[in-house]
Amino acid sequence: MANITLTSSDGVDVTVERTVADRSVLIKNMLEDLGETGESIPIPNVNEAVLKKVIEWCDHHKNDPPSAGDDDDNRRKTTDIDEWDQKFMQVDQEMLFEVILAANYLDIKALLDVGCKTVANMIKGKSPEEIRKTFNIQNDFTPEEEDQIRRENEWAEDR
Amino acid sequence: MSPRDTTTSTRRHPSLSLRPRARTAVQPVTLPKNFTFDQWQDFALAGAYCDSDHNDSALEDIEPSVQAVPRRRAAKSFSSLCHPVDGLVALGRRLSVTLRNKSSKHNLHVTGEDDKKEGHYQLSGHSAHKRNAASGNWIVQPQEWAKSPSVNRRPSLNSVSALQGFYVPTGAVPAPIPGHGLEPPIVPNDRFSGAAARAAAAAQNEQMEMARLELARMERGKTLDTQVTQDSESGIGIDLRDRSDSDTELDIMRIDPASYLPAEIMTHILSHLDPSSLLNSELVSSRWHYEASSPHVWKPVFRAAYPRRPASSTATKRKQPAGLGKSIPNQDWKRMFLVRRALEHRWKEGKAAAIYLHGHQDSVYCAQFDEDKIITGSRDRTIRVWSAHYPWPCLKVIGPPPGDLPGIGQVNNPAQQATGKSPFLTICPPSTPLENIVTPVDRTLDYHSASILCLRFDEEIMVTGSSDYTCIVWDIKNDYKPICRLAGHTAGVLDVCFDDRYIVSCSKDSTICVWDRKTGELLKSLVGHRGPVNAVQLRGDLIVSASGDGVAKLWNVKSGHCVKEFPSKDRGLACVEFSDDGRTILTGGNDKTIYQFDANTGEMVKALSGHTGLIRSLHLDSMNKRIVSGSYDMSVKVFDTDSGELSIDLPGWTTSWMLNVQSDYRRIVATSQDSRAVIMDFGYGLDGIDLLEE
Repeated sequence: MANITLTSSDGVDVTVERTVADRSVLIKNMLEDLGETGESIPIPNVNEAVLKKVIEWCDHHKNDPPSAGDDDDNRRKTTDIDEWDQKFMQVDQEMLFEVILAANYLDIKALLDVGCKTVANMIKGKSPEEIRKTFNIQNDFTPEEEDQIRRENEWAEDR
Repeated sequence: MSPRDTTTSTRRHPSLSLRPRARTAVQPVTLPKNFTFDQWQDFALAGAYCDSDHNDSALEDIEPSVQAVPRRRAAKSFSSLCHPVDGLVALGRRLSVTLRNKSSKHNLHVTGEDDKKEGHYQLSGHSAHKRNAASGNWIVQPQEWAKSPSVNRRPSLNSVSALQGFYVPTGAVPAPIPGHGLEPPIVPNDRFSGAAARAAAAAQNEQMEMARLELARMERGKTLDTQVTQDSESGIGIDLRDRSDSDTELDIMRIDPASYLPAEIMTHILSHLDPSSLLNSELVSSRWHYEASSPHVWKPVFRAAYPRRPASSTATKRKQPAGLGKSIPNQDWKRMFLVRRALEHRWKEGKAAAIYLHGHQDSVYCAQFDEDKIITGSRDRTIRVWSAHYPWPCLKVIGPPPGDLPGIGQVNNPAQQATGKSPFLTICPPSTPLENIVTPVDRTLDYHSASILCLRFDEEIMVTGSSDYTCIVWDIKNDYKPICRLAGHTAGVLDVCFDDRYIVSCSKDSTICVWDRKTGELLKSLVGHRGPVNAVQLRGDLIVSASGDGVAKLWNVKSGHCVKEFPSKDRGLACVEFSDDGRTILTGGNDKTIYQFDANTGEMVKALSGHTGLIRSLHLDSMNKRIVSGSYDMSVKVFDTDSGELSIDLPGWTTSWMLNVQSDYRRIVATSQDSRAVIMDFGYGLDGIDLLEE
């Protein structure tokens, strides 16, 4: 199958198989609309490092069957991530977030999902203070505000 | 509090502690040990019970019970092992990741390459960090040397944060844990996250850390010479730095996703959380609070925590209220979760109000309810339709004109209630004047001429069975007008059930009749029981029946053949339940024990004990994991489907035998020989409980 050339935001050309590029609904639609002109496709929101990372994922998943519907209930049955994807997501936070942003921009739903689940798993089961530490977040609540939220959330009619 | 609860709470507690590192390693191994131990005690008890029972029982019972005991052990110990195995697997993965990194320095290599090759990426990282630094998160005490050219020379921000990290060891950044990162993941050992997910999060965190450590160590090596001379005043600082070279505690780059990512992606991330993690997220910062309390996040989280009943081919049309609320715009999903949690707390405490439906003049044999109405059938030959809402008026009486109603009198038995949970509130709504609710009946043919023994309804029809040997099919949508009468049994009709094809009735004449729902034609008669058939249930093509001869039978409705038998230990089964998925069968009867069978293998899985009289009625609520039973010992009891343990004992809520029970997410409706039905409403007075109505 034909190869496609993508140009990252920092001007680097990356060549990929068409089947790999088709994992991105954005690129797929673009190619279908324009036909394969042989010209490179600019990806203005994604730099080379992130683009390569995203392509690595698309390449591994190029033969995946199309996802089984967007049903909320289905999608949320599990936060399990397949083993290859786990390893793939073992990157620093910035790269992780950049991959998520790129998946969102390029419309690669499965990758967006894996990225979001990875972040969700970094939040899961942690106390607010632990979450703050994980992401270096400043607690900007006054003690009163924090108390107020705590009270609302602990609300149970007769406890 | 049961031992199980204690374990759970000790498991949760440590997440507040400051040293999560050690715990992550130990926790998955030790705590399940407790579980296993507890459960082994349970089996020992269950086994002993079973053995002694088995000695007393007749010969033909030996085989099933002998099989049942080891099987039960196997099943239970397996489930208790699940957790430790998951934990070990997760731990193993993490260890292997750590070791790999350490030995091969793979990450160092890769990141180093990135440094040279992908300058752009590093650059953008740098600016991201600056953003953070500007918000004041990183720089606790600005240091002279930090602004030195040698720092700027290096494009990576990691070394910057790293140096700050160890120059201010007692600053806002908490004390480091040697050799590891700030934040090993606290992994919830709950149903919301699988082992693989935990491993992923753990590996994610550790890998990042290792990469950062290596990189920063390298860079610090480079900076030392220049730094030392410049920073000549702070000898102590140098010492600290040297030590932390071996101790390496460094901040990896940490970015607040709520400020880095657009709101819709943050919503996507948060919607993968479980409710308690989401509640914690609200407390992180005002930005997180805003994102995490959004209904767009809470809807999927609520739905994941309380899934809708899976569409099943075997489920009947009858709609069981599930308390999942309406999918309407502006629905307050978070509040629904809080209400739901409060409701579950009420169930746990056994805290319910008693509402007495007074109107029948004799035993109330049967009842069914949905979110709007409760329908009861009585020995007084009438069927009554009640509103399920305040003030619970009787809406309709179907049957011969009732006589004068006696006063309500004593409604419960306080002496008995002392041994269990009593109502926190008792309500006896005034009885409704009869003039408006009695249907004028022209012909006596239009109603039962004897006791109403059983009834079932769905969205379209109601079927009642009577001591007059017949069933009547009523049109629920057309003011309960009778549609047809099913005549064929030669004795009282004891139970009835139906789906969208068949109506199945069972009788004291020891037969089961299968009727065509549309035409009312008798399709089949299932013969085989040697005593009155007291109860019947239909799931897909399978019928399960329970007989006074002590045997429960499984039939294929198409062939009409009996495919399996489930013998009880003592004579006389009174009731039977078939789970919605058709996998589990529960029976109850004269021997005061509820038996749970695997419908596929025919093996007994559990025996639930606690009642001291014949078990007259059973209801299985698989979604809420509750088995509700009503007994001639005048109590209603609630068992946990997982553990098989008695969770709520409700004795003496009426003054006589319990004849029928059914439950949903918020209430149990029980009918009694004392002519009343009682709503045991766990949601009574709960603020916002109406949000859960569907």
